[in-house]
Amino acid sequence: MKSMPKLIRRFVGILLLSFLLLLVLNFTLLIVFTLRQTPNARPWKMAEDVARALTQTEDGAYVLPDDILLELENSNAWGILIADSTMQVVWQTDNLPETVPTSYTLSAIAALTRGYIDGYPTFTGERENGLVVLGYPKDSFWKHIWPSWDYYTIANLPKTILCVLVINMTLIFLIYVIANSKLLKSVRPIVEGIRNLPTGETVHLQETGVLSEIAANINRTFDILKAQQYQLRKKETARANWIAGVSHDIRTPLSMVMGYAGQLKEDTGLPGEARQKAAVIVKQSERMKNLINDLNLASKLEYNMQPIHPARENMITIVRQVVVDFMNLDIDEKHPIIWETDEALTACPVNVDKELIKRALSNLIQNSIRHNERGYRIYVSVASESKTCKVEIYDDGIGASDEQLEKLNHAPHYMVCDENTTHQRHGLGLLIVKQIIAAHGGETAIGHSPYGGFSVTLILPTAD
Amino acid sequence: MKDAYLKEKRILLVDDEQELLNMVVSILKAEGFRNVATAKTMEEALASALAFQPELAVLDVMLPDGDGFSLMKPLKEKGEYPILFLTARGEDDDKFRGFGLGADDYVIKPFLPKELIFRILAILRRSYREENPRVKLHDSEIDFDRAEVLKGGEHIPLTAKEHDILACLYRNAGRIVTIDALCEAAWGENPFGYENSLMAHIRRIREKIEGDPSRPVSLITVKGLGYKLIAD
Repeated sequence: MKSMPKLIRRFVGILLLSFLLLLVLNFTLLIVFTLRQTPNARPWKMAEDVARALTQTEDGAYVLPDDILLELENSNAWGILIADSTMQVVWQTDNLPETVPTSYTLSAIAALTRGYIDGYPTFTGERENGLVVLGYPKDSFWKHIWPSWDYYTIANLPKTILCVLVINMTLIFLIYVIANSKLLKSVRPIVEGIRNLPTGETVHLQETGVLSEIAANINRTFDILKAQQYQLRKKETARANWIAGVSHDIRTPLSMVMGYAGQLKEDTGLPGEARQKAAVIVKQSERMKNLINDLNLASKLEYNMQPIHPARENMITIVRQVVVDFMNLDIDEKHPIIWETDEALTACPVNVDKELIKRALSNLIQNSIRHNERGYRIYVSVASESKTCKVEIYDDGIGASDEQLEKLNHAPHYMVCDENTTHQRHGLGLLIVKQIIAAHGGETAIGHSPYGGFSVTLILPTAD
Repeated sequence: MKDAYLKEKRILLVDDEQELLNMVVSILKAEGFRNVATAKTMEEALASALAFQPELAVLDVMLPDGDGFSLMKPLKEKGEYPILFLTARGEDDDKFRGFGLGADDYVIKPFLPKELIFRILAILRRSYREENPRVKLHDSEIDFDRAEVLKGGEHIPLTAKEHDILACLYRNAGRIVTIDALCEAAWGENPFGYENSLMAHIRRIREKIEGDPSRPVSLITVKGLGYKLIAD
């Protein structure tokens, strides 16, 4: 479950990033809005400006300069000046609403400073001998009627904000973790299930929770995979068994053909020609025997039904035994075998199934014998090269063309080919060699021999 | 005929196919075996084993009332003699099963007459040794029982290793025996690294058996592969 901690880390990372982004976003928005709104302090400043700019003419009347007057008009604001001595309005703008009183009491002054006159938000500006009051249109400003705060609240404001932020973040984080761990809990078996699908282990997930549909689909998938595997295996087994059965049934009748033909061949009481014919029957029945052996083994190797029992062996011992077996059979030396292994090399340890490797080597020597007339030599060498054991079997016979070699090296055999099989390709012998060597993690290379004939090189990893 | 005493041995053939029995009998007769009995079923085989007292049994793996493997056990109980399997099943498991239960060898069908004869003679030679077997070579004789060589009226003793090596060569007389097989015969399983010792022993054996050890005629070297004993 390597992916789960990764998933959790990613979740937390995303969460922290969201917090940061939210903070940045909120501050930006705050700044934008503050910039766009009418500044709080403007009407107060305006009132002070008016108070300063109002001048008294010689006849005692008050005059406001045109530019400030224009500014007031643009804001749809009205203004009055209340004299200190009389508490009467001594100056007013032309647009003063009728509902605004013209004389004031102290309490009225206090009320309008903090609040409104008849719904108009009012702002004051002090003057030497009076008070300028500006009235802005209704609903243009909201005024705080009790403009005071507990001292400590204001003093601790930064701390308070931080606290609130932290509490908020913690809460969100907790919610997030709980929600996610629930999700992860339901994801975990699904991840496990998907991981097990290719291994062939039995997968059965509980189809409950948020992700029940996915779990159900994984279960279906596993069932389908298993059914397909079973069908495929059944077919392959049937095919391999069929081949095994046929080759088994042919063995007993072929025994009699070979047995009697072998006797006739050796029967000195028979005319030479008849013995010659018997020899041909023997030779051909041996070919049939090899063919059924090869067919059976090739199909088993192809469908992985051939058990392989690897053990630590000395490759030289195995090769030597196979060569000697052939030499002991070939008494009149029709096909001399030359042992070309360096005598200083006495061991080449490999992990192999001895019987199968012997079979591969026999097939190669058999091939050289079959494809060449008597008198040609077969060479066998074993060499140890950088963690590999190299076995070469080559002859000075007719060999093969480059084109044929290319085909032998790369074209699939008809037995393992799912395309057309109208062209009969090379025999099973080489296919088996390739299969056996591949099953041992080795390589097979077919080429020209230094003596002009055919050459096969087997490269197997050495046992350490 | 050096194997004449082996041809006197009683051989029991068990196979469900009459034709195959006929053929094997004819092969054995042609080779000079005179005491051959046949059986087609397990039941017949057991009856015959009591009456005939075989000295070698050749069994088919597939029988109508059972298989050769299960026949082997009761046969072995009635007498200690070697068993050779004839099988149409070349598969690994059968082979191992047979050996595990005490089979001495197996021959996979189809087979050539000389292959079967060679295997039968090899088993018999292993199981029944000739009374005082003296092996005649070109320039000497080997007496395996006394572990000595007789050359020109002289008795030359053989060491244990020399005896083992010669015995292995003699069992396969006329055939090449690999260096590895000889090392195994002398030093047992996993005989790695004994090649040089083997060469030294061969040299000493030649001094004992050959007329001219530098030009051997009885113990032939097959370069890089092994040795061959030529017996008369």
